[in-house]
Amino acid sequence: MVDAFLRFAIARRWVVLFMVLVIAGVGAWSYQRLPIDAVPDITNVQVQINTSAPGYSPLEVEQRITYLVETAIAGLPAVEYTRSLSRYGLSQVTVVFADGTDIYFARNLINERLQQAKGQMPAGLEPGMGPIATGLGEIFMYSVDAEPGARQPNGQPYDATALRTLQDWVIRPQLRQVPGVTEVNTIGGYEKQFHVTPDPARLLAFGLTFHDVVEAIEKNNASVGAGYIERNGEQYLIRSPGQIADIAAIEQIIVTNRDGVPITIRDLAEVALGKQLRSGAATHDGKETVLGTAVMLVGENSRTVSAAVAAKLAEVAKTLPEGVIATTVYDRTVLVDKTIATVRNNLLEGAVLVVAVLLLMLGNVRAALLTAMVIPLSMLMLMTGMVATKVSANLMSLGALDFGLIVDGAVIIVENCILRLGERQHKLGRLLTLDERLNTVFNSTREVFTPSLVSVLVVILVNIPILALTGVEGKMFQPMAFAVIIALLAALVLSLTFVPAAVAIFLTGRIEEKENRIVQVARRSYAPVLDTALRLRVPVLAGAVAFVVLCGWLGTRLGSEFIPSLDEGDLAVQALRIPGTSLTQSLDMQFQLERALAEVPEVKTVFARVGTAEVATDPMPPNIADGYVMLKERAEWPDPGKTKAEVALDIEERLEAVPGNAFEISQPIQLRFNELISGVRSDLGVKVYGDDLAQLLATGNEIAEVLSGIPGAQGVKVEQVAGLPVLSVEPRRAALYRFGLNVADVQEVLAAATGGEEAGQIFEGDQRSALVVRLPEEVRGDLAALGRLAIPLPEGGYVPLGEVATLKLAPGPNQISRENGKRRLVVSANVRGRDLGGFVAEAQQKISEEIRLPSGYWLGYGGTFEQLQSATERLSLLVPVTLVLIFALLLVTFGSAKDAALVFSGVPLALTGGVIALWLRGIPLSITAGVGFITLCGVAVLTGVVMVSAFKDRLADGAGIDDAIRQGAMLRLRPILMVALVAALGFLPMALNTSTGAEVQRPLATVVIGGIISSTILTLLVLPGLYRMAWRTRPVPDPAGVVTGESVASHS
Amino acid sequence: MNILPTTIARFLLAAALLTLAAGCGDTGSTPGAGSPEARAGEAGHAEDEGHAEHEDHDDEQEGDHAEHAEEEETGGPIRLTPEQLQAASITVSAAGPATIRESLPLYGVIAPNAERVREITPRFPGVIRSVSRRAGDPVRQGETLATVESNESLQTYALPAPLSGVVTARNANPGEQTGERVLFTVADLSTVWVDVALFPRDRSRVRVGQSVRVRSSETGQSAEGKVVYVAPFGSPSNQTLAARVLLDNADGRWAPGLYVTVDVTLAESAVSVAVRNEALQILDERTVVFAEVPDGFQPVPVETGRSDGEATEIVKGLKPGARYVAGNSFILKAELGKGEAEHEH
Repeated sequence: MVDAFLRFAIARRWVVLFMVLVIAGVGAWSYQRLPIDAVPDITNVQVQINTSAPGYSPLEVEQRITYLVETAIAGLPAVEYTRSLSRYGLSQVTVVFADGTDIYFARNLINERLQQAKGQMPAGLEPGMGPIATGLGEIFMYSVDAEPGARQPNGQPYDATALRTLQDWVIRPQLRQVPGVTEVNTIGGYEKQFHVTPDPARLLAFGLTFHDVVEAIEKNNASVGAGYIERNGEQYLIRSPGQIADIAAIEQIIVTNRDGVPITIRDLAEVALGKQLRSGAATHDGKETVLGTAVMLVGENSRTVSAAVAAKLAEVAKTLPEGVIATTVYDRTVLVDKTIATVRNNLLEGAVLVVAVLLLMLGNVRAALLTAMVIPLSMLMLMTGMVATKVSANLMSLGALDFGLIVDGAVIIVENCILRLGERQHKLGRLLTLDERLNTVFNSTREVFTPSLVSVLVVILVNIPILALTGVEGKMFQPMAFAVIIALLAALVLSLTFVPAAVAIFLTGRIEEKENRIVQVARRSYAPVLDTALRLRVPVLAGAVAFVVLCGWLGTRLGSEFIPSLDEGDLAVQALRIPGTSLTQSLDMQFQLERALAEVPEVKTVFARVGTAEVATDPMPPNIADGYVMLKERAEWPDPGKTKAEVALDIEERLEAVPGNAFEISQPIQLRFNELISGVRSDLGVKVYGDDLAQLLATGNEIAEVLSGIPGAQGVKVEQVAGLPVLSVEPRRAALYRFGLNVADVQEVLAAATGGEEAGQIFEGDQRSALVVRLPEEVRGDLAALGRLAIPLPEGGYVPLGEVATLKLAPGPNQISRENGKRRLVVSANVRGRDLGGFVAEAQQKISEEIRLPSGYWLGYGGTFEQLQSATERLSLLVPVTLVLIFALLLVTFGSAKDAALVFSGVPLALTGGVIALWLRGIPLSITAGVGFITLCGVAVLTGVVMVSAFKDRLADGAGIDDAIRQGAMLRLRPILMVALVAALGFLPMALNTSTGAEVQRPLATVVIGGIISSTILTLLVLPGLYRMAWRTRPVPDPAGVVTGESVASHS
Repeated sequence: MNILPTTIARFLLAAALLTLAAGCGDTGSTPGAGSPEARAGEAGHAEDEGHAEHEDHDDEQEGDHAEHAEEEETGGPIRLTPEQLQAASITVSAAGPATIRESLPLYGVIAPNAERVREITPRFPGVIRSVSRRAGDPVRQGETLATVESNESLQTYALPAPLSGVVTARNANPGEQTGERVLFTVADLSTVWVDVALFPRDRSRVRVGQSVRVRSSETGQSAEGKVVYVAPFGSPSNQTLAARVLLDNADGRWAPGLYVTVDVTLAESAVSVAVRNEALQILDERTVVFAEVPDGFQPVPVETGRSDGEATEIVKGLKPGARYVAGNSFILKAELGKGEAEHEH
């Protein structure tokens, strides 16, 4: 089949070129459509169901909302698990579906079930699903600020409410129209509200209640359509507008009539624009601001959407009132562009170096250019492949691409073609005829095609364990493995079609068989070294083995890092304060942090979200702030050579000085991922399920004690559930009875007084603002005054709240976490200094022995040990299978176990250089370094096969073993050196790069460069000796011989 | 999760060594490359190291926590530089003597002083001949309000105002027969009463003679008065006792019928040690004050006594003159507890 392909490619070479052109065009078109993002998307398929329940405490939220939603969701197909969170005023149920579930299908199912749940919820509560987005969704953020001195049309300065109104009714509606945007989330400022604040004393004086006020407003704020009448053939519509438009109109509403005197709202209450009871706020450079976040729809192209949002925002900004500015504070395009630039630069620089190497070694411009062409062509084919298979393009998948290996196959083929064409010309002493040329190209391609094929297959095989990873690791690395495989297959196809076709077309004329000076020098100096190596083969081999063992040991000394941290260019600082910190206090503390951050010279701007945004995509309590620290361009830093880690240290130092905050420094996207994935992140998590929070906590503490007693346990922590100060107003039934009150009478007054009661809406065009009746701020804020809150009695008069209820201030549940429909508490522990599996087994045994669980309570075990177990199982099966497959492949290639083993022996030799290079540069072992090792396997097998097949060819030609080895080695010196130089030099820019994405590429490039050096030296020196030892006697050529070398050429 | 790479590395390495062994197998010189198991054991160490490195941050937080726990046990203070104090707007004051005004807010309604209201009825029924004062007119004691011609004697006699005050009601016009009815009401509003309902909880705390501040929420005016009466029996219908405050009303600001807020001063006591209310924080269910110690601040559990809107008496825990954090003491509480702050979903 390969032959037929080759023949076709050479015979129909123009057609092949044209097809390659078409494929390149398709690739270019695919590139436009390829959703490129900065980092791989590791979010699972999840749907958040948020129900906002203003005023409900965690316990009530759980009981009346969360439980209902969970019950409704239970039993949906493809659900992996549900977890929920009940917090003040918010219920969030997160349903995680099996990977690969269609998100729209999942949402549909949930929507159906939610309708049932809604019927049982307290009136007015509306469960809604979070935006259709992943962790990469927050692509664009902007702040709305006012310039100092800017005035509203009414002469007032722009305050947080005015800015929020602009965001809600001018900016947001327009941005939501941008294609690809699924939500524009707002945090900060205050929603405009009209507040009616009745004076309790005045209400008492008139014998009126809150409820009377609310009712009066409700009854006076509606427009009614009253059908139509017909008159003289015309139709008149009838409507009765009765909506209130402004504060004056509200004040004039009559609540009741006493002795002929109308009592209006004005007589009872103050009416003013007020501030909502908000759950979150935003800051920008130490000031309060309004922050908008555009959330991208799942599967869209972040670059396109982000650019579109930016364009739209610029357009909208022009229509904003004078003095109000919308500033872009975070734009994903910047990061994506940097990523693309990095990949493009590496590609260009690599290609230039490859061309230079080829020019030097081959001395043929055309050959060099057409070999280099393979790089862009296979990249374009990769784009098409990625679009077709929906593999995401990002720093990992594109950045870790290794074009050394891509181009290796082509290098070997072109080199051999030139060699053979030159030889042929030399032999015939004239230019070749077309037929002769084509035939030579075919033969020489065929001759070295097997090594290319084998090396690509080996790399694909080595990638299999990566494809077998699941969960976060799988999502992170599978695109990378896919990209490598696609690119290599593309390169393979190209070297089978495009390369021979192009060689046949372009390598006309006189081919210099004479080698240039560099190769001659190399060859001259190689010959004596080779002789020595062959002579001293036993010591050389022993040395090599010792070297491998040494490097193996060195490898275990290297640090390891599984998920490389992809540099997003900016930092995220999550500030955590003690539970119960109020929003205002938290804001104050955030201001202090931001002022401290502003002093760091590398920081451009800082902004933060404190608490929960309008759409609760991240339900943070007010004591937590997600801060974004945007850094200046490196060139603007006082010391551009400073690393980002150093800047992070500086920042940490400054923050450390601000009292009252704990913080975690990460990066924006990373932070978002953590929030969304959010499982148990320590090694072992013991989950206690049950009903009673106190019992859960007690059991949790017992378990923590047991765990702490097991050797190796470190950082044993019981999840924090309590700590939110709660003022319980518990009605005393006996007292209520004495005064003739119902519990509801008391609760209604309390709720209206402190939380406020919505009495309708005020419409101003599209804008609608809530009309809220509640107590004046000075009364709400005073605990003692609350005890004095007057509860009106049925027969007139009042009784203070404190008479009929007990007010207790005590810490209450901060939030209630549930998993799979039951309350849950996690005790987590990390393990140091012993094996995790053994620790877990001991922990399980001890816990089952020592912990007595009340009935209705049970335990679950989770944590990273689960991943370790499943990964170990997978890998312990797959790695041996992979190795066997590689060996089988080599066996098929050579038809000899010995030869296969010989080629395989090059692999550990290649790995040594990689290990040493990592060690020298102090880079930890990571998956990208692992990809480098995979590449090395490929290169080692490639050079090994090239070498060994040359030996075999010589032997088949009847040469003695020593001659065969010597001649073969000399003949293959040039291609092996070329492959090595192409890969090593091509990776040099990558290894030294510091731009965005470098952290992924640096380990890869380092490993490859180091490994290539060791691999080349060892292949050239050790392999011949090894071969000599393995075939002490001349082997009998296998007549059924595998298609290798010139045996094929002679067959054809 | 950083265990995986070492696992992978371990496999790769083991594989590499195995193959090398295989490659050399035919030479008969199997190198002592070490069994994969032995390697794996060593890889296990690397794994631990990697781990430690990776979770640096966790450790740090835990470290913080441990540090604080230690501080609480050993009494190590929270150290803050003057710049930090200033940046966090933390202010320090000295605990000292103060006057604590304990008060009890109640709702009341202004009523005329019933002891200073007179209803004027004609001594002899007759025909009203003239009326010289209208409702609302001020009168002096002895001034004539009206003249009445007695039906019996046909003598005209004057009805004098029995006390200085204001005519609050007039039920008399010239020519009318007086009958036995009340013709005028004159009230002396230079003092008024404030009627207050005392609920059972507050009954024992209010006594005659306590001074009272009366405020009107409508006009914002306020005045001082005294409790003059606490009813000896309660009302079964609303479970309250009536109490009465006498209020000076020389300028006539307090119109009877208006609702007012009444703050009864329960006690006005000079205490030797008091702190500002915002200094009090609750830590582990105990009330504490952050006191200044030689090299920082330390939470000191205190026992609080009487308290008013501004200051709280410290019965135990602070010495007079002790310096404590008055403003923004929450920051210190936050600093103490920050190791516990975490973000759980």
